[in-house]
Amino acid sequence: MIRLEGLSKSFGQYRAVSDLNLEVKPGEIFGFLGPNGAGKTTTVKMITGLLRPTAGTVVIDGRSMASDPIAAKKAMGLVPDEPFVYPKLTGSEYLRFIGELYGVPLSDMSSRIPDLLEMFELSPWAGELLESYSHGMRQKLVLAGILLHEPKVLVLDEPMVGLDPKSGRLVKDIFIRLARRGTAIFMCTHVLEIAEKLCDRIGIMIGGRMVACATLPELHSQAGQGGDDLESIFLSLTGGAEYAALLRYL
Amino acid sequence: MWGLLLRRRARTLVNTLSRWTAYEWGRNAAFAAAGAALLYGLHYGFFRLLFYLGGVELIGKLLIWKLTAMLLLMTFSMVVVSSLLTALTTLYYSYDLKFLFKAPLTLRVIFLDKSLESVVFASWMIGLILIPYVIALMRVEHLSAGFFAAFLAALPPFLLLASSFGIGFTLLLLYLFPSSRTRDVVWVISSLSLTVVYGLVRFSQPEKLVRPDALKVVAEYLGFLQAPTAPYLPSWWFSQALHLAAQGEWGAWGARTAALWTCAALVYAALTMLAGKVYFVGYSGAQEGALRRRTHAFRPLPEQRILGARPSAALLWKERTTFFRDVKHWSQILLIIGLVFVYLFSIRRLPLDSAHLRSLVSFLNVGTAGFVLAALGLRFTFPAISLEGKSWWVLRSAPVDVAEIMRDKFLFSALPMTAIAGLLGVMTNWILDADRFTAWLSLGALLVVGLAICSMGVGFGALFPRFTVENIHQIESSVGGFVYMSACLFYVGATIAVLAAPMQMHFMRMFGSGVWDDRVAAASAASWLVLNVVAFILPWRLGRRALERHE
Repeated sequence: MIRLEGLSKSFGQYRAVSDLNLEVKPGEIFGFLGPNGAGKTTTVKMITGLLRPTAGTVVIDGRSMASDPIAAKKAMGLVPDEPFVYPKLTGSEYLRFIGELYGVPLSDMSSRIPDLLEMFELSPWAGELLESYSHGMRQKLVLAGILLHEPKVLVLDEPMVGLDPKSGRLVKDIFIRLARRGTAIFMCTHVLEIAEKLCDRIGIMIGGRMVACATLPELHSQAGQGGDDLESIFLSLTGGAEYAALLRYL
Repeated sequence: MWGLLLRRRARTLVNTLSRWTAYEWGRNAAFAAAGAALLYGLHYGFFRLLFYLGGVELIGKLLIWKLTAMLLLMTFSMVVVSSLLTALTTLYYSYDLKFLFKAPLTLRVIFLDKSLESVVFASWMIGLILIPYVIALMRVEHLSAGFFAAFLAALPPFLLLASSFGIGFTLLLLYLFPSSRTRDVVWVISSLSLTVVYGLVRFSQPEKLVRPDALKVVAEYLGFLQAPTAPYLPSWWFSQALHLAAQGEWGAWGARTAALWTCAALVYAALTMLAGKVYFVGYSGAQEGALRRRTHAFRPLPEQRILGARPSAALLWKERTTFFRDVKHWSQILLIIGLVFVYLFSIRRLPLDSAHLRSLVSFLNVGTAGFVLAALGLRFTFPAISLEGKSWWVLRSAPVDVAEIMRDKFLFSALPMTAIAGLLGVMTNWILDADRFTAWLSLGALLVVGLAICSMGVGFGALFPRFTVENIHQIESSVGGFVYMSACLFYVGATIAVLAAPMQMHFMRMFGSGVWDDRVAAASAASWLVLNVVAFILPWRLGRRALERHE
């Protein structure tokens, strides 16, 4: 569903992503971890067509993002790290707009939009302008937007940020159910607990390179810490010792 | 603390400049050179005008200084209007306000920082245009470099005082009407008042200056020339200071300039004191979104009846809905309506005695109305792509081609722009009673100019997108805005130039001193076609390519 081949991105002399190769299969939830500035958001932007790769290819549902971007994008839904939406549209209107862009039939929209708003507990606010929505409400609305057009591929950049515990739980359940139905999910997150519970495979990126990519048990054995949790593995790969040293200053 | 805030701005500037690549240095140097050329063109025009006025016997000097006073009054009014439009976004909706209000800073320090930013945004471009005028004045009046220094010394308090009007009004508006709906209504009423004031100033007929016969007697005309132009406004004090500097009365100039600085300092101190009391109430109110429950009916969009169920219809619907819900646009629409009326009134007041002269003016109207359309394009069409702002990801990650987004922006602008172009063309031809050939030629040319300006607006807007600005003025006054405006002015000038040949043949045929030559007409039509092909296609293609690659 998602295939990245030799994906690289440079900004001038700075190489943000180097030679990234990855395949996320239908029904798989792939967790993409890494410290700040590792190149995760740059990767997300290349996958979703917001940035042109310096080298390499992105293939979504068999369609190349470079040569057939419209078809590739039609199969995909994005939740960005900051859910900026049109402040002068209402919640219902935003979903209608998304539905129109992705070619959802009007009859489907008229039944599903109220349902999605209800599911995310946004119905009381459906007629309000988005400028009055909180961060979490906008995040839920963007999630509702991608569910509306039932994409085969979901790309999520910190999807849990700003969500209350109930909504967080709802969203996790939604991701699991979508994966069971065959949706490929690529998720960047800093919440290791979520990655641990949800993801079938985890990739760890440092300095623009994927330093580890495996299932959780495989990561455990690679890190030589069979009994430890993902946090310990992550810190051992990304510099846990420095973390301990930094604590001395507090 | 304010010093620290100023240092952050200086540091931002230094960091930006130090990170420019050789390409960026070259590109910006080219744009700066183009800007200098444009300023030189303005200077040339001002010089010719002042030289002509200065040559009028007995009253030449009076005319020059009356014109200077009127120009300064106009500059003052423009900065007031501009500050009204910028103060709201800069003082209440800037991205860095959340950080500043959370920091241990007093309200007055935050106000000083943001209000001076507003002053700069509102006045720098208008202030810059004064420089070619002053240099032309120096050449005509044979003034030394000391005069220019005197001008530069008195300019900052003048611009500061003009901007203070908008800033003070906005402070009070947001304090007195923290509810967004009431505030919107007051904002629109204020804009309407401004439009009326603008109209009244125009209807007071300042053209009397160059038409002595419009006044009954010579004494009345001389009285008009010698009377102060709005004596209670800083523009008159500035004008007086310049006049005194020109006469070498440096003591009196110093007193006037000191008065300007003192007045600006007092007004700004008063505003800062006021801000300490009212700024937070307004800021807090501005954070609250408008709660206006709207219901959405799931029926076909009106745009889909024309465009079908393509994304274009949805894009156009989104564009229309978001545009008209933004109250800041209403005030601009009101100002445009005022501008159109004033334009037509000015045409009606032109002293044209013969039918041929009226037809000639009808043709030249393509140029002046084209300039008005270019100004509208800079305000509405050019920023359209950039105004997608941080929501750009929605469109960019959607299955929509960049060209389709651009087409939607074009369609949304083209309809009102063509309507205004048509209105200006038809009404001007009707007022001037232009002959049939001229009327059709100028109307056709104006309609094409309107569409070309839209196409260039979208093209240049895509070529120079700025998705992270917080203020529409930052988009307009950017390098891209400057390039767009220059391209529009060049295009309008070229349109007049290529259409001048058939107009000339038409007039010569009417006077019986020449014949119509089809080859010349065909060459003119071909040139016009080429000009429009370039204007419609080149910026569009460059813009599309740039937007597809935008990072």
